[in-house]
Amino acid sequence: MSIGAAETLPFSSGGLGFLDGAPSPEGGAGPIAARSPRQLFWRRFRQDRVALASLAFIVLLVVLAVAAPLIVNLLGLPGPNVANANLTNAFGAPLGPSRAHPFGVDQLGQDVMSRVIYGARVSLLVGVFGTAIATVIGVFIGVVAGYRRGWLDTLLSRLIDVVLAIPILLLGLGLGAACAVRGCVKGLVQPGLGSIIFIIVLANWTYVARIVRGLVLSLREREFVEASRALGASHSRIMRREILPNLLAPIVVYSTLLIPANILLEAALSFLGVGIRPPTVSWGQMIAQATPIFNTAWWCIVFPGIALLATVLAFNLLGDGLQDALSPRAAR
Amino acid sequence: MSAMMRRTAPARRRGFALALALGLSACGSSGSSTSPSPSSESISASGIQTPATEALSGGRRGGTLTVLNHEDFEHLDPGEAYFSVDYEASYATQRPLFSYEPNSVTPIPDMASGPAVISSDGKTITVHIRHGVHFSPPVNREVTSADVAYAIERGANPNVANPYFEAYFTSLEGSAKARGGPFPGITTPDSDTIVFHLTKPNAQIVLDALALPLSAPVPEAFAKKYDAKSPTEYGNYLVATGPYMFKSNGEGKVLGIGYQPGKSATLVRNPNWRSSTDFRPAYLDEIDIKIGGDTNVIGRQVLEGSELVQNDAVAKSSVQLAYEHFRSQLQISPGAGDHYIAVNNKRGPFANVNVRKAFWAALDRVAMGKARGGSLVTDVMTHFLFPEIPGFEAAGGLAGPKVDYDEHPEGDPAIAEKYMRMAGYPSGKYTGAQTLEVVGSTGDPSSEVAEIANNTLHSLGFKTKLSLVDTSVMYSKYCGVPAEQIDVCPNVGWGADFADGQAVLDPAFNGRNILPTGNNNWGQVDDPTINAAMDKAELIIGTQARANAWAAIDRELVADAAAIPSDWDKEAAIESKDVAGVGDLWNTGTWDYSFSSLK
Amino acid sequence: MTSYIVRRLLWGVVLLVLVSALTFLLFRVLPTGEPARLRAGRFASPKVIAEIRNDLGLNKPLIVQFWLYMKGIFLHLNLGYSYYSSASVRSLIADRLPATLSLTIGAAVIWLGAGITVGVISAVRRRSKLDRASMGWALALISAPEYWLGLIVLYLFAADIGKLKVFPGAGSYVGLTSDPWGWFTSLILPWLVLAATNAAIYARLIRGSMIEVMGEDYIRTARAKGLSERRVVLRHGLRSAINPVMTILGLDIGVLLGGAILVETVFDIPGIGRLNYDAITHSDFPIVQGTVLLAALFIIVANIVVDIAYAYLDPRVRFS
Repeated sequence: MSIGAAETLPFSSGGLGFLDGAPSPEGGAGPIAARSPRQLFWRRFRQDRVALASLAFIVLLVVLAVAAPLIVNLLGLPGPNVANANLTNAFGAPLGPSRAHPFGVDQLGQDVMSRVIYGARVSLLVGVFGTAIATVIGVFIGVVAGYRRGWLDTLLSRLIDVVLAIPILLLGLGLGAACAVRGCVKGLVQPGLGSIIFIIVLANWTYVARIVRGLVLSLREREFVEASRALGASHSRIMRREILPNLLAPIVVYSTLLIPANILLEAALSFLGVGIRPPTVSWGQMIAQATPIFNTAWWCIVFPGIALLATVLAFNLLGDGLQDALSPRAAR
Repeated sequence: MSAMMRRTAPARRRGFALALALGLSACGSSGSSTSPSPSSESISASGIQTPATEALSGGRRGGTLTVLNHEDFEHLDPGEAYFSVDYEASYATQRPLFSYEPNSVTPIPDMASGPAVISSDGKTITVHIRHGVHFSPPVNREVTSADVAYAIERGANPNVANPYFEAYFTSLEGSAKARGGPFPGITTPDSDTIVFHLTKPNAQIVLDALALPLSAPVPEAFAKKYDAKSPTEYGNYLVATGPYMFKSNGEGKVLGIGYQPGKSATLVRNPNWRSSTDFRPAYLDEIDIKIGGDTNVIGRQVLEGSELVQNDAVAKSSVQLAYEHFRSQLQISPGAGDHYIAVNNKRGPFANVNVRKAFWAALDRVAMGKARGGSLVTDVMTHFLFPEIPGFEAAGGLAGPKVDYDEHPEGDPAIAEKYMRMAGYPSGKYTGAQTLEVVGSTGDPSSEVAEIANNTLHSLGFKTKLSLVDTSVMYSKYCGVPAEQIDVCPNVGWGADFADGQAVLDPAFNGRNILPTGNNNWGQVDDPTINAAMDKAELIIGTQARANAWAAIDRELVADAAAIPSDWDKEAAIESKDVAGVGDLWNTGTWDYSFSSLK
Repeated sequence: MTSYIVRRLLWGVVLLVLVSALTFLLFRVLPTGEPARLRAGRFASPKVIAEIRNDLGLNKPLIVQFWLYMKGIFLHLNLGYSYYSSASVRSLIADRLPATLSLTIGAAVIWLGAGITVGVISAVRRRSKLDRASMGWALALISAPEYWLGLIVLYLFAADIGKLKVFPGAGSYVGLTSDPWGWFTSLILPWLVLAATNAAIYARLIRGSMIEVMGEDYIRTARAKGLSERRVVLRHGLRSAINPVMTILGLDIGVLLGGAILVETVFDIPGIGRLNYDAITHSDFPIVQGTVLLAALFIIVANIVVDIAYAYLDPRVRFS
């Protein structure tokens, strides 16, 4: 994932324009009622058709993931791991889309549509969960560094520099390969899903920490924080009451935009052979397995790829929508 | 595409097969025939060449053959080479004491002037060296027995670390302490005689091993300085005795000139080779090897092109393409090795022979074979010796011994259940608490094969944790290390070093050969009766007697269900229409540079 | 100014050492395999393996191994030797670097050009169909996995296996010096794929930046002065809008120079990314360390260059 992806995010330059609130859009006669930033946000979000559509898609995806067995059953498809040697020809090449198997089958005769549906589980789990953990850690470190300043800040910033200098994919490869079979960190990080989430957390906390640190730095100097301090509020109170609530919005937007990048990271790692292991199904792994035969068995690659594309796109659009709803001045 | 998906069928590694074959499929028919069951689709072998029946004398003299290989060499040094692609070059440029004609698996004298003489007590082997064989430039002089002695001695040098020295030459006196220098087991009474002194009478196996590249002469004065480096650099500065040599400069440097790692290699005629001293015709003038590229694309290029061959594993789709449209350019060679599933015989549920039999019965070997490319390139494996190995027929041939768990290659759940019940699981399925650790290798078809095995285990009631890692890691870190106590290794296989039952069965199934690392007895099979029978069979001299002895051991292993068989490999090789390729039966059918020619 | 540069350079060096140490630690503590066993091959007795371990220096304490490694780099620019071949890491990397350079620089040129053009046009024609369409495409391209795009592109256009045989397929890369035309055509598809995702990101970035800039006062002034719209947009608008792009461009190129492993894999380009991948899977630590070091070097250098450029432009930064 490009550095650009991370740094194009709305608040990286410390822009907290949304805090100033936008002028009330009401026109016409009658008293003008003040609206809180939150209400304004919802209003704008609700008007954004594209963002709503992506949200709907994501909800659908979640439903698919959670109810996968039910849905596969309803559609009359075999399970994702039901191998059927009769569905490959004498040379082992799989059969294409047909009535019984709308997306065709793979080299083992497993139904591709069924596997695509089950694959949603991994992508969502890894993307959302991994990002969430990375965000929590990143926020914690960012707040500590930004608020405390001093040597702790310097140390943490330098640490972030070091981690950012290592290419993520290579790091992921090394860790993934090392943690295969038995896991690492004394079994805390299990191979497969566990190691992927571990790698995602390792790779992402730095971005979050950096952004949050920047935000906290500018927040500290704000009038309302100064006012609180003048009133004698303790540091933790300031943290809780003034700083954290104002971080909420940018963090939510930011992590929503990180999710798709992480879904792609998992797919890339699975593609390179160090990700999810069978019998768990992941879209990246499906593409990896289909790469040797994509020439003749295009269905094995196209469908998981489209699923990935659609999911990532939906999250990207959602994130864009959230960002626009929060600070309408920018970009739109 | 990607070579990364370099999960390509590795041309055979001797002694163990790496099962990775990814063939990026080139086209072939898209969405081909939809046959409902494998048996109704018949693949016929007519029109396809096999090495055993090919003509040895070919087309014209001269010309350049271009070889497209997806895989690179591993080692050019004959003391280190242990891979069928390496052997292609080794046997064209080096002359071991004994070597092979393409259509045979019985060695004939090469650097030796005649058959070896084994003493009556079986503890001494005497071989006479042929006269008139010279090293290539820059050494140029005639080969003497001291050169052969040094070649074998350096196998024990850790800088060379010959892969099979420990397997076949430890019965030479003093070899245990050998570090690359002379030891009492090898003596050279005069410049054209070499004598091997053994501590036990297993002369036959040592003799067989003298057909491996290790015994190809190496000039000590020239090589010593390279062998002192760790790892040895002799592979970068080779001298040749065969009809061809790697292109080199005046000092014998090959690296960068005759060999660009990962890119190309060039073999040219050895100016000091005399055809009167050799059984090889050597028609070609030059062999250009291009390394890398997509196996599917290579397949197409070779089949549709001119003066090309592919000399490593052929992609599944290329096999299909050749079978359907270029049948006369396809060669299928039997006896290329096997694939099976190793299960932990020492610990866990598979320590029980009935559980092993249940797994054997339940496994769908036809599906496993299909994952590898179907019946054209695989035969269902029914016992442990493979075709072309003496004793194969006596052990049951293709059909195998008549035991009920072997009867149904497509898997028979009823028989599987019967054995599970005999093992003490009344429901016919595993009810224990252990989760099996299954370690396979990445790539195609390895990952598919591993999944089939994994699914079979589930059908028997087991819970499993399946991990797929790179092949070399699978062997060196997990399956080859008994202490890791892996339960099931579904992607192991074997390719014999030479055509003798011992080379197939002993390293993989003799309890004595369970090593702490680099173990090839992956299942930790350790049955005292079988061990004793193997130790006895090792000392037999004479092909027929050995064949019978090892066939009997094979039947014992089947009765013990020591491992779960999957398939016997038949290796495919392809050539352009204007190439008169001659395949080596003893080297997985790869094209022999010294016998092939252009039409 | 000088002291700032010096400080940044020093920190860069320290960073390199730290990254090196971290990689070192990571791959020894969490090895992907056992190099001595891998090198010894099958049938090797434990004593041979132990000897090889010793020869490779794997028995010395980690600190000593690291110290020797660092000494080698700083004193002799020696990055060590591969565990399997006797090739020096430096020569292996030097061999592969041109391919990665070709891929990265070429793609960067394309994505900058495309990104800026699309971004500027979209910003100027905000909310038009063109804007929506191009931003939509941009988003779609960002959302697609690179390697998948590569596979699809090969399926459609590769000369050997594609439906429309337009460009050379995977594995056709040749060096610039040996065959310039072949070099160029073999890189077209990989460039397009690599550039596609990035162009999209840059287009969005430029668009956002331009929109902000175009709302500034001095733009209004320029227009009021009577300058042509094109001059206003390009001379005044783009010049300011391009700042954030420069930062990211440096970093992106830095990252890619460390090896665009996915694209190199799909198109079979013998670059640093693939070298690294092979080394990781075979536990060939010296190569892994060398390539990671190189990649980190590129990223750090890019960072430094960007920082210095900013310091030059904005005096406040120098004193932070």
